[in-house]
Amino acid sequence: MNNYWNGFKDGNWQQQIDVRNFIQENYTPYEGSEDFLVDKTKKTEIVWDKCKLLLSQEREKNGVLDVDSNTVSTITSHAPGYIDKDNEVIVGLQLDAPLKRGLVLSGGLRMAQQACNEYGYKLNPELEKIYSKYVKTHNEAVFSLYTPEMRKVRSLGLLTGLPDAYGRGRIIGDYRRIALYGIDYLIEQKQNDRENLFSGEISEEKARSRDEIAQQIAALKAIKKMAAAYGFDISCPAKNTREAVQWIYFGYLAAVKNQNGAAMSIGRVSTFIDIYIERDLKNGILTEAAAQEIIDQFVIKLRLIRMLRTPEYNELFAGDPLWVTEVIGGMGEDGRTLVTKTSMRTLHTLNNLGPAPEPNITILWSKKLPAAFKRFASIISIKTSAVQYENDEVMRPVFGDDYGIACCVSAMKLGKMMQFFGARANLAKALLLAINGGKDEKTNKQLAPQMPLPQGEYLDYDDVRKKYSEVLAWLAGVYVNTMNVIHYSHDRHAYEAEQMALHDSKVARLMAFGIAGLSVAVDSLSAIKYAKVKPIRDENGVAVDFAIEGDFPKYGNNDSRVDSFAKEITHEFITELKKHPAYRNAEHTLSILTITSNVVYGKKTGATPDGRKSGQPLAPGANPMHGRDKAGALAAMKSVANISYDDCRDGISYTFSIIPEALGKTDEIREKNLTALLDGYSNCNAHHINVNVHDRSTLKDAMEHPEKYPQLTIRVSGYAVNFIKLDREHQQEVIDRTFYEAI
Amino acid sequence: MKGYYHSRETFGTVDGKGIRYVLFLAGCNLQCAFCHNPDTWKQGNRLIDSEEVLHEVEEYRSFYEASGGGITVSGGEPLLQPDFVAELFQLCQENKISTTLDTSGSGAKAAIMKILPYTDHVLFSLKAGTESLHKKLTAGNSNKNIIENLKIIAKRKPVTLRYVILPGITDSALEIAALIKIIHSLEAIDLAVDILPYHKMGISKWKELGMKYLLADVNTPTAHEIMAVKDKIKASGIKLAH
Repeated sequence: MNNYWNGFKDGNWQQQIDVRNFIQENYTPYEGSEDFLVDKTKKTEIVWDKCKLLLSQEREKNGVLDVDSNTVSTITSHAPGYIDKDNEVIVGLQLDAPLKRGLVLSGGLRMAQQACNEYGYKLNPELEKIYSKYVKTHNEAVFSLYTPEMRKVRSLGLLTGLPDAYGRGRIIGDYRRIALYGIDYLIEQKQNDRENLFSGEISEEKARSRDEIAQQIAALKAIKKMAAAYGFDISCPAKNTREAVQWIYFGYLAAVKNQNGAAMSIGRVSTFIDIYIERDLKNGILTEAAAQEIIDQFVIKLRLIRMLRTPEYNELFAGDPLWVTEVIGGMGEDGRTLVTKTSMRTLHTLNNLGPAPEPNITILWSKKLPAAFKRFASIISIKTSAVQYENDEVMRPVFGDDYGIACCVSAMKLGKMMQFFGARANLAKALLLAINGGKDEKTNKQLAPQMPLPQGEYLDYDDVRKKYSEVLAWLAGVYVNTMNVIHYSHDRHAYEAEQMALHDSKVARLMAFGIAGLSVAVDSLSAIKYAKVKPIRDENGVAVDFAIEGDFPKYGNNDSRVDSFAKEITHEFITELKKHPAYRNAEHTLSILTITSNVVYGKKTGATPDGRKSGQPLAPGANPMHGRDKAGALAAMKSVANISYDDCRDGISYTFSIIPEALGKTDEIREKNLTALLDGYSNCNAHHINVNVHDRSTLKDAMEHPEKYPQLTIRVSGYAVNFIKLDREHQQEVIDRTFYEAI
Repeated sequence: MKGYYHSRETFGTVDGKGIRYVLFLAGCNLQCAFCHNPDTWKQGNRLIDSEEVLHEVEEYRSFYEASGGGITVSGGEPLLQPDFVAELFQLCQENKISTTLDTSGSGAKAAIMKILPYTDHVLFSLKAGTESLHKKLTAGNSNKNIIENLKIIAKRKPVTLRYVILPGITDSALEIAALIKIIHSLEAIDLAVDILPYHKMGISKWKELGMKYLLADVNTPTAHEIMAVKDKIKASGIKLAH
């Protein structure tokens, strides 16, 4: 392979698969400005213009341009597809045409049937027959494994969004391995692993691993075949930048052809690619324009990935997201920054192609990042609101310096860790169970084990808190066991061979549990403790509403009286979860993340003691309930930062929305303030922040959907107002003026 | 000691340099017709201790330091609580937190002299150029004392002079000429003018308080109107804040 690796520094990466070592030995940190960046090329412009047309057609057709309802999508199921063959420098589509959605049936038949019907297609009857008569899907298998109790917690909305009807996702293949080593070497290594690691006395786990490696090898061969159909031989390592990106993309493409996982991250590819760009630039075989063209076109491809989903799914995760998450930036363990010129080039795609939600660009923040990069990131953030930030300073000590982010906030070492995605438990609803003797407040059904109702006219904090612990302990058991059956089934019936082939054969497994409704649960406990809360019970003894007398401290104001509950509950819940062994010795982790599902979860949750009415949305992620954080953004951030990342290793999500004017008076001041905000947030050991700096169109959306913008702040000459609290007339006034200023 | 306050904002970005902790005091004697927080006019009964404010600022120190920010005391009118503000600013300076005073200048000279030694920067909001307009906009208050106070401050501390543009009212040739004349008379050590567009976001508060808003018919200024004033200021050799 030596001629492929000409010009690279030697290292352990040549002896075994070790991408991190390759990066560390060969990358060039970049501390300079963005001045070297160039505009998109003519070719990119032509390709992107065609895509923009297709995207608008997709919107006109209710969000789905086309569906192939006849063929099951696999790595090799479809002939090569192109957008504009002559102008594409990176090729490959999921199906044979752009934005066409494929059938993935191993996860479940029902979802595909519903989706086809909903969008006016008819699922091939032959396939229906095969997948109902001869092939057991993951969905079918899970429901045969569920206990009655699991079915109940699921249907009543205590555990929601479980991956039991489609692909679980959240696995990140180390797609860089294909570029660095070529497929043949990877196959060889897998064959060695099978005999070296999983032979001798054959236990059930070993037998299964042997089977899985066989599937992985078959998948690697399929990827090679798929690439060959596009005219590329990827059996050997990539020779240049274009091949490196193309090889990486083929690996990713195989994953999104073969499965319909909820979140399908790309990993951490920019700095890896930068090494190839630097080599090609040095050898005079690449120009800056050509380098940017490759990155732009790669990003175009990532923007076009589509899955066939049902409208119900869209209600939970609005906006057709795929979480093609690419992390950039961060610091190395040796103190050098991992920012390279290609980190800048990747951010620059948002200039060249305009803002877009995908790929989900995630900046690993550290105070030590180069100042020029921080500034550039802030500029892009303010301009596009398309970037999120995660704290490298809290993740690096746990995951090293070659980790990626699955979905939004789930860190894992690339190629060395995978996770079993576990959606979330509604802890606001769990609190109501403690108040209602274990009965579901919406249906009167006995959900948790029966327990006595709290005594007295007013809720007694100690009494309720004790009962809440009982509910959480019970829920943790049901939750772990539910996850165990889901992932047992998924491994058997919808195994992600093409992604696991790009992991070490002895992989570390995480089981990612989640929490929804944290701020409601926390404020409810605070109300019970610091105010007087009287449950108003119906004839069945179920509290249908609460009368609250007096005020109480609220989460989001940096008030330790209530923030301590958030810390306490997350710690208690992960501790309870860990008491129950997870499938395949996975390590239990916990997230506070809802995406947009807080609205649906809210619908399934009755009135709560904090004054939230039945059916009202919960706050997203770890955010305070909107309107309750009264002391400004920093106080809310400190409340969120107070939750321990050690307890929530799967991430703590916080969404921050602000209008440009409220970040400062001039562009330069805004950039500086945002950078300082991120430095300060990182310094508090907080984990994640979505930064939304909204323009006029967003403000208009906020008028129609105020629940999505809890913190949108208008701040002009000395005073702040919460945008959603203004009446319509004034909102309109603000919108008009903002628009005017934009001219 | 304790001061009467209305609210506090941990993430203030438009009242001084960098990211600032803004303490809005309660109680004001000027009653400007275009005030956007009339709810801070009354002194009320909410009290906060200077030590408590310092403790809160300390909570967010990393944000303020990273941005070159600090604390701003705004209003209400801080000059009405000079002992509290002076003590708070002294505490802050002792703890290396930069201090900014946001004032209308409507207060006693003694109050200013008490606070200034502990003040790094002053935001001074002048309501009008001429005395007659000033009286119209501030329920009959003269601007003589205010201009005297501005002189005292500008000789001693860096000042950002804020001036709100009410189209057809505060941006007339007469008013701007008077404003420029005042500024030239100041012997200021470091002064910049910040031209602010009038906005109507306070109107709902007037309604809530059951007060009649007299400027309902006044429009917000266009970018062109703002630029016209800025050009005049610049042409007279005065520095603009942005």
